[in-house]
Amino acid sequence: MQMTEYSTKEKVLTTLYESVFPAAAKYISRRGGTFEQAKDIFQDALVIWYERFSTDEKAVHSQKAYLFGITKHLWYRKFASEKETADFELTEAAGFEDKTYEEPSAPKLLQLLENAGRKCMQLLKAVYYDKLSMAELASGFGFRSEHSAAVQKYKCLEKVRETVKEKSLCYEDFLE
Amino acid sequence: MRTSLNEIEQIEKYLLGGLKSEDRLLFQAELLLNPQKAENVYWQQKTYQLIQAYGRKQLKQEIEAVHQKLFTHPARQNFRQKVLALFK
Repeated sequence: MQMTEYSTKEKVLTTLYESVFPAAAKYISRRGGTFEQAKDIFQDALVIWYERFSTDEKAVHSQKAYLFGITKHLWYRKFASEKETADFELTEAAGFEDKTYEEPSAPKLLQLLENAGRKCMQLLKAVYYDKLSMAELASGFGFRSEHSAAVQKYKCLEKVRETVKEKSLCYEDFLE
Repeated sequence: MRTSLNEIEQIEKYLLGGLKSEDRLLFQAELLLNPQKAENVYWQQKTYQLIQAYGRKQLKQEIEAVHQKLFTHPARQNFRQKVLALFK
């Protein structure tokens, strides 16, 4: 599937949302879930679907079935783990909470990269997350050739890598 | 390309599974002898993780925008009522 342009991607997401969310919501409501739970689970399923199958040629024809399948799986997992959470909360109430736990700080570094290196992050996201080919990258970002797109990709990778290294070493709390 | 960019390309192949087994072994041996390069591998791995997190965050925002559109736009009223009726 071609999802290089934002409008195309938005269309695909809208179509999938419109055609699969009602069935997903029905499935979850029948099992005692709320609208908010159905929304959260379905949106997570869409993310998983996008990461695994959006560029998979073979999966194109059954994308709705895939998406619904992922939703059911996530609901089942959540339902099972909520029982565990309930048990855990009991333990916590009894005074066994883990005092060494700290918030993960990757979001802080992400925030910093969003502000300092937006252009490179957009380009790298297009390559590694949206899985654009070098030809698509070249046309989408206005490079003369696939080669210059590839060179720019590595330049950005180097730049972001150096920022990550520098900031992580400055503020040790960026690291887990 | 600059030497440093060639190294980045090579590290990418190593991390993202583009090196054949004998080249992998050679590369791993090189890492033992060159701590600077080993360090670069570590930070490059971290960078890929951050790009993944960045992409996911944006996708979630795009999905939420689609949701808002479907649940607020007047033209989608039927859709909205159909879904909300399930939770009454």
